[in-house]
Amino acid sequence: MSTIKILHMYADMLDLYGDSGNMEVLSYRCRMRGIECVIDKYSIDSPMPDFSSYDLIYIGGGADLEQQHISADLLKCREGIAKAYKEGVFLFLICGGYQLMGRYYRDADGNDIPGLGLFDYFTVAPNSRRKRCIGNIVIRTQLTGKAVDVVGFENHGGQTQGVKTPFGKVLYGNGNCSKSEAEGYTEKNVIATYLHGPCLSKNPEISDYMIEYCLSRSSGGKVQLQKLDDTLENQCRKVMLDRLLK
Amino acid sequence: MKRLQIIIGKIIVKLLHLMKRNAGNLPGIVLWHISRHKAVSMFKVDCPIIAVTGTNGKTSVTNCIAQLFERSGKKIITNREGNNLDTGICSLLLRHCDMKGRVKADYLILETDESHVPVVYSQLKLDTLIVLDFFRDQLDRNGEMETLIQKINGFCKTFKGNLILNGDDPNTARLGKANPGNKNVKYFHAEPYAFATKTIYEASEGRFCPFCGEPLEYSYYQYSHIGKFRCPKCGFGDYEPYITASGIDLTKPVFTADGHTYAPKLNSIYNVYNMTAVAAAAKLYGIEQNITDSVISAYTVKNGRMENFMLGDRKTTLNLAKNPVGANMTLRVMNEMEGEKELLFVLNDNVADGLDVSWIWDINFSIFERVTRVVTAGTRAHDIAVRIKCSGYDQSKIVVRPDLDKAVEELASTPGRKFVIANYTAVQPTRAALKRYIAKNGGRTE
Repeated sequence: MSTIKILHMYADMLDLYGDSGNMEVLSYRCRMRGIECVIDKYSIDSPMPDFSSYDLIYIGGGADLEQQHISADLLKCREGIAKAYKEGVFLFLICGGYQLMGRYYRDADGNDIPGLGLFDYFTVAPNSRRKRCIGNIVIRTQLTGKAVDVVGFENHGGQTQGVKTPFGKVLYGNGNCSKSEAEGYTEKNVIATYLHGPCLSKNPEISDYMIEYCLSRSSGGKVQLQKLDDTLENQCRKVMLDRLLK
Repeated sequence: MKRLQIIIGKIIVKLLHLMKRNAGNLPGIVLWHISRHKAVSMFKVDCPIIAVTGTNGKTSVTNCIAQLFERSGKKIITNREGNNLDTGICSLLLRHCDMKGRVKADYLILETDESHVPVVYSQLKLDTLIVLDFFRDQLDRNGEMETLIQKINGFCKTFKGNLILNGDDPNTARLGKANPGNKNVKYFHAEPYAFATKTIYEASEGRFCPFCGEPLEYSYYQYSHIGKFRCPKCGFGDYEPYITASGIDLTKPVFTADGHTYAPKLNSIYNVYNMTAVAAAAKLYGIEQNITDSVISAYTVKNGRMENFMLGDRKTTLNLAKNPVGANMTLRVMNEMEGEKELLFVLNDNVADGLDVSWIWDINFSIFERVTRVVTAGTRAHDIAVRIKCSGYDQSKIVVRPDLDKAVEELASTPGRKFVIANYTAVQPTRAALKRYIAKNGGRTE
């Protein structure tokens, strides 16, 4: 039996808007195919893990207060995460997790929370806490090799700038900045996005892209995933696409 | 000018009545705008005002406290219909004031939306503020919960009146430290009930001490993050309770508070907390014990909150769940019940629900016991279906029927016990659909 090892970081602190649901979706889609999915948790004060021993590292989003709590701890992990990323470990980052991998996050009071600087982008929160990008969002990504419309919900104050390779093009909603054209950040082994919902709940292609990537990387060859019955997920997405894009 | 605005408001109330329309919010909205958001300050209120706020339980506690005073022979004004925003409160006062804006009553008892506490009570003198709990609820409308707590905390910094707080919710208990000069802070507390746990059971917030950032230590959790907590570093959570519920037995159901045993009608730990808050208010205002007794023991609800229906001969319980905590509680009640059952989950994403439905992923469906089939309905019927499927529930037992009448028919098409969970804007349409089914096919409402 093949296995995927996931490290879910700060699950107890960065878990707004059902982000832990992404882990449930991934493990569900593995389980249905007889793939073992091991999810380890890491949080403040856990012993330093061997990041490179994982196939995928996941960080969700949190409120400002929680984000401040974890940023110092996350910096301690910088070396390990950077090494794992360079070796091809998949990074799946939502909202706060996305922001903290950039150069810095400047909060509403003008204080800089340093990021890991893995990527060049940076995020600035508007002065007013009331100015947030909130609502349903649809983006079109080419990550899997063909166009996939991804539906989610965004809720962020921070405006992320300096992204060269976005996750998708915004068809409905805001994206990285208010009314922007691009959403998230991506590389072949990185998905960083503002999409909650949770992100994977009605976008099975994205889950499968990650599972396929992880299995192919660990086996050294191209792995074809067994098809699943995604009728419910596809209907769910269609309802929202019809409502938002028509 | 003030007088003119009040007259305009009163005319609108009258017109709406003539048109046989409910004057719940509209007059207040108009007044709010013409007075540039100072509408509430136009009223002259000399009697004590008691406000009830929090995520869950506001309506129940407000109604019970209103009854305490009513049965004591006092003239009260209260927003029973739950119009709890600034504009709703403004409409209520408009209906009850004279042409000079004077409001005559012995007590005002006002359910108040969490985010509207500061704006309303910076304009009206508040005698007592009761804060029940803070849970994730409609996050996208209110912004993050911390912002909300900060808002109320800011209000509490200068508030010198009575502050009755749930001492078992760190999110509300922290308000007791906002104004160190206020000697009128009172905490209510409950001892563990039979289903209290040593570890946390449902997704929740407030895991860290708001004062020093240390993880809070719990000796028990009642549900979600409600329980006996303490900060090991700064001692936050050490307080002398004003009133404590003990001897909680939900099978009867009974509990004891302040040496007196109550036998409420509703058998949830929720209700024990709510009624303990009511008992705290009764103690503070010196309500006679027999009156408190009659209010607490008679209180029951009919607004889709654990409301029973008979669909033909199938017993059906409907419960409102606006957030994961409410939904998890219903699932627990469902599980604790013997035998097989079916669930209808109605999920809407209208503005009042909060447009974001991701909160359903914080509901712990993996605890399902003896649930033989699930029907889903509402504007986000598919989302809740996917959510339940990914918890490991067999997808062939999930039926999606966005239309409510079709969903109720589907639910009633098989024999056995039924449960219905509906979120905020779904609950009234669901009740209506259940009643339509009963009118057509027989059964009864209880």
